[in-house]
Amino acid sequence: MHPFSVLTLAIFVAGYITARWALVTRLYELAIFAWDKGVIVRATQGFGFLSLAFLLVFIPVQQIARTEAILHDGLMRVFWPVDIATSDLPGVIVGWRNSSLDVVVIAVLDHVDPKSVENALKTGILLRNAPHSVPRIFELCGQPSMHVLGVTNPSPDSNPDPSWVRAATSPAQRVPCVTCPKASSIQTIVFERPIPLRMQYISLNPIALSLADKEDSSLYSVSDASEAEDEKQERRNKQKKHVLVEKLRSHSVVGHAPSQKDQALAKIVNQINWTWELEHLLQKNVPLIGPRPKRTLSVSERVVEHATTMRDYVILCIWDMIILYVFPIIRRVFILALLGHRLAAEVLLRVLEWRARPSSPALKDISATAQQVEIRLQQFCYWPMQYVKLRLRKNDWESVTTSHPDYIRFYNSLWLVANDVIIGIALGSYIIENAGWVADTISMLLSTYTIQALQNSISWLMGWPAGLKLNSELALFLGDLFLWVIDYWSSCIQTLQPLLPHIIWFIGFSSFAGASMPIALFSDLLSMLTIHIYSFYLASARIFHWQLTILLSLFQLFRGKKYNVLRNRVDSCDYDLDQLLVGTILFTLLSFLLPTVVVFYLNFAIARMVIISLKAIFDTLLSCLNHFPLFALMLRAKDPRRLPGGIRFELRDTQNPRPRNDSKSPVSTISSPPPTSVIFLKPTPLPFAAMFHQYFQMGHRIRKHYLSPRVLFCLVTGRFVPPIHRKNLYSLQYSMLPARRAGIMETWEALNSLPAKKRPIKLHPYGVTTNTTMMTLNGSRRHMNGRATRGL
Amino acid sequence: MRLTTTPYLRIRRPSPTTAEFTVSTLPPLTPSLRMLLLSITLLRTVLSLQLVLILYTLWASRSSPPSSSSPLSLLLAHLHHALTSPSPPARLASYLLAHIPGYALAPACAGALYALARARVHDAESLLVLRGLGVQTSGGRFIPTGKIRDVLVNEAFRGFEVRTYLVVVVDGEDDVVVVFPRLLPGARIVERVWRGVRECLYEEGKRGWEGEGGGRGIEGGWRC
Repeated sequence: MHPFSVLTLAIFVAGYITARWALVTRLYELAIFAWDKGVIVRATQGFGFLSLAFLLVFIPVQQIARTEAILHDGLMRVFWPVDIATSDLPGVIVGWRNSSLDVVVIAVLDHVDPKSVENALKTGILLRNAPHSVPRIFELCGQPSMHVLGVTNPSPDSNPDPSWVRAATSPAQRVPCVTCPKASSIQTIVFERPIPLRMQYISLNPIALSLADKEDSSLYSVSDASEAEDEKQERRNKQKKHVLVEKLRSHSVVGHAPSQKDQALAKIVNQINWTWELEHLLQKNVPLIGPRPKRTLSVSERVVEHATTMRDYVILCIWDMIILYVFPIIRRVFILALLGHRLAAEVLLRVLEWRARPSSPALKDISATAQQVEIRLQQFCYWPMQYVKLRLRKNDWESVTTSHPDYIRFYNSLWLVANDVIIGIALGSYIIENAGWVADTISMLLSTYTIQALQNSISWLMGWPAGLKLNSELALFLGDLFLWVIDYWSSCIQTLQPLLPHIIWFIGFSSFAGASMPIALFSDLLSMLTIHIYSFYLASARIFHWQLTILLSLFQLFRGKKYNVLRNRVDSCDYDLDQLLVGTILFTLLSFLLPTVVVFYLNFAIARMVIISLKAIFDTLLSCLNHFPLFALMLRAKDPRRLPGGIRFELRDTQNPRPRNDSKSPVSTISSPPPTSVIFLKPTPLPFAAMFHQYFQMGHRIRKHYLSPRVLFCLVTGRFVPPIHRKNLYSLQYSMLPARRAGIMETWEALNSLPAKKRPIKLHPYGVTTNTTMMTLNGSRRHMNGRATRGL
Repeated sequence: MRLTTTPYLRIRRPSPTTAEFTVSTLPPLTPSLRMLLLSITLLRTVLSLQLVLILYTLWASRSSPPSSSSPLSLLLAHLHHALTSPSPPARLASYLLAHIPGYALAPACAGALYALARARVHDAESLLVLRGLGVQTSGGRFIPTGKIRDVLVNEAFRGFEVRTYLVVVVDGEDDVVVVFPRLLPGARIVERVWRGVRECLYEEGKRGWEGEGGGRGIEGGWRC
């Protein structure tokens, strides 16, 4: 300090003390008072105590917290698209920051300053000229904004933010070498971007080819009682399993609360799906934040450009006129036609679904043809709705993946119907051309197999078959009865014979509506022309069952017992002698007559089973024609990434193995490169088993219905084997349709809500061409940026 | 000389938060073992070719030999001639064809081809654990961390023995996921993998991943 100013200060202090002497004496008294009362000692003690606490507690705790933070949460996760263009120039990494050390890279912008990129992201300059709404990006990616995540190939003298990622990239190196000062270990997860223009995407769960499992319970509630019993059993098993799982859950020793990184996975999958489109948008807008690269066209250049593009411009104008005036008319006509069709379909569907009583079967439950017609009509009702849904996709970003399964479903059903019609035309023309021959063959088959073969087998059974000595009188009686009915039936068939070519011709004609129609018609024809076998089966089963129950109760009598209905058990009973005698005689009689009845019953039961399996073959054919995942199979072969079945990770060997000496102290890992694992994220395509899941389910259901011990028991005791409910069999085909079809008004509103076709150009009302309009727009934007060096 | 060993464990751990546990039955590759494996591959190829030749002979005996003069059919004719000229494999094929009916031979050949293509000398199964992401088994099944309820070692009867195996209990599913389902390695390996998985996923137990030998390299000491 300068001596003169010291002197000045001293004079000031001396003057102040003399002026305010009273204050000074007061202060002096206060000090003496404090010393007397021990205030100063206590204050010193407090100060010492606090410093000690600070030294002993707070500093070590902070130290521990720091090391723990590095150890525990020092895991840095970088998702890096492997196919973005990388150079060895310095660049700025832009992407999503899900948490402080969890980032998804979208793009690497070259030749820009990180600060200006940050500013541009904040002001939204980098998302200019977005084709669709920008907030939707942030909504679907689950983050409020994009960030500058770091820099690539930073120059050594630069000093970026410590939370930023530094990546060393070069064109030769596929996987970048990522470091971050804050991270103690790094997972570099490398992925190939799905291309949304080709409708590729990744997802955690397999894509659902069928509509969501809707009213499964309502589907089975109308089934018969035996089916309900099966269902009950199944439900009980499921509940038991559920209880076990619950028990397992309560036995978990330690519950781990999911961390922020664990929960981010679903968001990250979305962000990865968006990467391609966002990167293109960012790269397109990069020139807006860099130095001005181009000047605007001069007047002469503009004239030349107009001259060269005049022809295209005129064509565009004409196209615009067509879109403005002709398209709406076509559209209106089309919508009206669709609605007329919808009305007709509604009437037909009401007829097919009509039930006399709520419990009685509708037409579609009885006949395969009605069922087929119903499925087609339902499809026709559903297509406009599906199409509207798919058209709305055009007004959104390509990366929105929610409608892709709908797309696959829509085109699958369209393609199946087209296929069906093509096969149907071939089949139909063949049947029509050879109607006579086909009718002859069918009548020959009918007379051979349903009449003659039956007659032969019955006459064989009447005369001691295979050396088995049956009761001749009973066999003769039963055989005569059945033969008489068969004779009557064959005369009926004879009268039908001349009609058969017409029926065949009709079937052939119907197959122009698809090959599934003649198959369904043949299935119905089969069940109609074999009614006699069905009734024989019913009659013989009835007789057999009746005899068997009598035998069983007489056997109880034979043992001196009796079935007690009230207690549902067998009690002993004192029979009279005559009761016992007559009962035993009857028992002997019936048991000797049983083999004769059994052979007749077996004969018809086998015939019935053959017919059921034939119908099962027809039904399988129908379900293949109606539901085969043709489009999905094609996509699987063409581009498996359009059918995501989940994700898969692969650990790659890192090029530079981690040095071993850095592991002793965690702090030293900061200076040397942290341990890094390179992981490839790959989409797995949908497995074939998942594509045919519905078929497996249907097969399982059929097996459960026909190859169960219950059915065997029914067959042995001669009880009626119920045919599988059509609804069970067809749940497969309904899985492509919504549970409730859209009403007529709904269809009308949906069709009208479609946006009008976009006009190709926006013509300026005052004759200024589009090019200039766009240029003015560009120019004004530059002015807004405040960066334009040269005006328009 | 043994082609396989009892299953042993190999750990790849480039960083403390990522680990891959591989259980395999491939013994260390000595030159003699390499030769043996190569000869097995050769034998398989020769056998498959012989089966294909039998199938071709069967097909050619059913269909008439190509007669037109387009280049493709000429090539086919040459091929046919070369294949059916008297050589030991062709003679074997025609001998088989003469003695066994075609409807039995064709499915048998196809089945044998399939078995040859599918049969494996060694087996390897792996488990990849990524902290913050999840667990992936070698079957391609990926389970996110949020859905992992627990990872535990369980015991079960299988035939007349007790097997110890590692399971992942998945939230919201009725069945547990068995890790290493085909090889089912012994209790010591399973326990080691279990410790490794818990440590890698939740950072429990010792913090001693440094002692595990720098990430890569076969840890051959653990043969059960």
